[in-house]
Amino acid sequence: MGTLFSAPDDHFQDLSEKTGFSPEQIQILHKRFKQLSNEEDLLRRDDFNNIPDLACNPIRTQIIEAFFDKRNFRQNAVGSVEEISFEQFVVVMSHFRPVPLHNMTEEQRERMRREKLRFLFNMHDTDNDGTITLEEYKHVVEELLSRSGAIGKETAKGIADAAMLEVASITVGRMNPEDFYEGITFDHFLKILKDIEIETKMHIRFQNNACALC
Amino acid sequence: MEEVWGTILVLLRVWFTAVVLLIMLPAMFGISLGITEVYMKILVKTLEWATLRIQKHNRRQDLIKATVTNGIIQRDDGSMEQEIGALRQSRPTSLSRGKFTLCDVFYFTRKGIESIVDDEVTQRFSSEELVSWNLLTRTNNNFHYISLRLTVIWGLGVVIRYCVLAPLRITLAFIGITWLVTGTSLVGLLPDISVKSWLSELVHLMCYRICARGLSATIRYHNKENIPKNGGICVANHTSPIDIVILANDRCYAMVGQVHGGLMGIIQRSAVRACPHVWFERSEMKDRHLVAKRLRDHVADKTKLPILIFPEGTCINNTSVMMFKKGSFEIGGTIYPVAIKYDPQFGDAFWNSGKYNMVSYLLRMMTSWAIVCNVWYLPPMERQEGEDAVHFASRVKAAIAHQGGLVDLSWDGGLKRAKVKDTYREQEQKKYSSMIVGDDSSGIVGDDSSGIVGDDSSGIVGDDSSGIIGDDSSGIVVDNTSGIVGHKSSS
Repeated sequence: MGTLFSAPDDHFQDLSEKTGFSPEQIQILHKRFKQLSNEEDLLRRDDFNNIPDLACNPIRTQIIEAFFDKRNFRQNAVGSVEEISFEQFVVVMSHFRPVPLHNMTEEQRERMRREKLRFLFNMHDTDNDGTITLEEYKHVVEELLSRSGAIGKETAKGIADAAMLEVASITVGRMNPEDFYEGITFDHFLKILKDIEIETKMHIRFQNNACALC
Repeated sequence: MEEVWGTILVLLRVWFTAVVLLIMLPAMFGISLGITEVYMKILVKTLEWATLRIQKHNRRQDLIKATVTNGIIQRDDGSMEQEIGALRQSRPTSLSRGKFTLCDVFYFTRKGIESIVDDEVTQRFSSEELVSWNLLTRTNNNFHYISLRLTVIWGLGVVIRYCVLAPLRITLAFIGITWLVTGTSLVGLLPDISVKSWLSELVHLMCYRICARGLSATIRYHNKENIPKNGGICVANHTSPIDIVILANDRCYAMVGQVHGGLMGIIQRSAVRACPHVWFERSEMKDRHLVAKRLRDHVADKTKLPILIFPEGTCINNTSVMMFKKGSFEIGGTIYPVAIKYDPQFGDAFWNSGKYNMVSYLLRMMTSWAIVCNVWYLPPMERQEGEDAVHFASRVKAAIAHQGGLVDLSWDGGLKRAKVKDTYREQEQKKYSSMIVGDDSSGIVGDDSSGIVGDDSSGIVGDDSSGIIGDDSSGIVVDNTSGIVGHKSSS
């Protein structure tokens, strides 16, 4: 049963300033958090598995892991946790916050890009050694393609190799036959994806059909 | 002391006679004295007044809240192909089809995050959010303290609901159930004469009408010319166990269900003596053929009452209709669809079985303002030639959703308790991989069934280099660039 007097909004105000969401959006996310966590204060991996749309997503494990990955909590920590609080949930979500692009300077846009790409990089680089190795890359390709059985593991491996080759050719240029390509570093990652408009393609757009509470 | 007892007894007698005269008797014969109408009018006026007060207050404070019923976020409606194509086009080097690139991952990541923020299904398993407060404590999630007058009205409402209405309703429900059990047992004693079925219908109707008054249910039936006839199957969307009372107020149905113990069991056993309901033992429920056969036999007899089935299988929160299980549609016979829509303003009828058990649910029902609902009888539908049960089920579902103003979802209501099957995930993977690989043989999958080695050297990486996957099965090493992975063996 709800209470007649609502919870103080100051906590949400702090979060709003910290993460860049508006207070209304924080309210919405809070409701969603409570819905997913069954009215508890902490969210676990299992709670994400209850979302049917997410269960259909081929890379759902990586997406869910990203929420429990300390690198995404903006506190310069590493490792992973078992449960997250609402604050951490919103901090991870803030990587996808809607951005007022026309209001930003070039520097801010660049910073935003780096932030979003860092999030995606972390999603691939599971052992946090700073590079996406072929193994990790292959893992992603397999998740996306091979389990359905339409493509065998060998093909998936081949696709991963091809993609790595292409990455290498873009970033490092022509390689000597003896060179060993270790993996994609964050700078390479940025270089490959520098033409894609990450800022516009990687955020959630909240609907604006607000109505006065009547 | 005795005087006190005396007065209490007198009061109780007066109370009982009042209840019987004013509520029970009219209910039994289907006439209304107009008391409920007056009550509803007062209620509506009060709620409107409360709404205006809250609105005025909020305008002063400039609070704007978003509605949650239509979805919180905007999504792109494009298909997987369109979106990934759009992502890839931003690159200057146009990539031919059949290539996997890093940016494809973004599409899935964004979709994943979007579904974490808002998805169509999870919200259906909890009560619907109200746009304006209806002066019940239980629906007060986001509503702030407004004014003293409002709080006083709310307090008054609590007193009325808990101290006046609830005892009244509990009394009525008690009388209703007792009458049902005794009445049907009495009728069951009669031999099989034509009067028996008429009597049993009368008894059933009376009891359900009393029970409906016990919930202060105001039901409006629309399109009564389409009311289900004997020998058919009636299907409806499911929101709560009260649906049975709502529907059975108008005509008598043959219920289908599992045999329970306790009070439910007593009711079931006595009811089946009077008219042929279909109750299954728990063990019989597992045998689908047995269930289907029994239902088929029942339907084949055109004189028997129509069966009432809820194909969703579980309670949904009345904002949407979920997948109809095809079992009920394979039996044959005419289907009479019925749409039930509750008005959440007066009381939330949804039974969140995870959160509340049956008793606390019924108590909540009895302490709401009222249950107001609309029932639409839809024209009968039959399975067409060559139509399979699944297609027929979704056709019926669409008709019900359309009439009731509910969202038509094809997700299974069983997701309330179970997880999504892996096959759905595999479908997404298949879709994506067919995009990468191509459905024709120009992609990776060549003409031979090994799948990997194409017959020409175009392979994966366009037609320039001889492709990563050369003709040998080690797969990686090609003539010029060796050692992507450090396999230094020569080709």
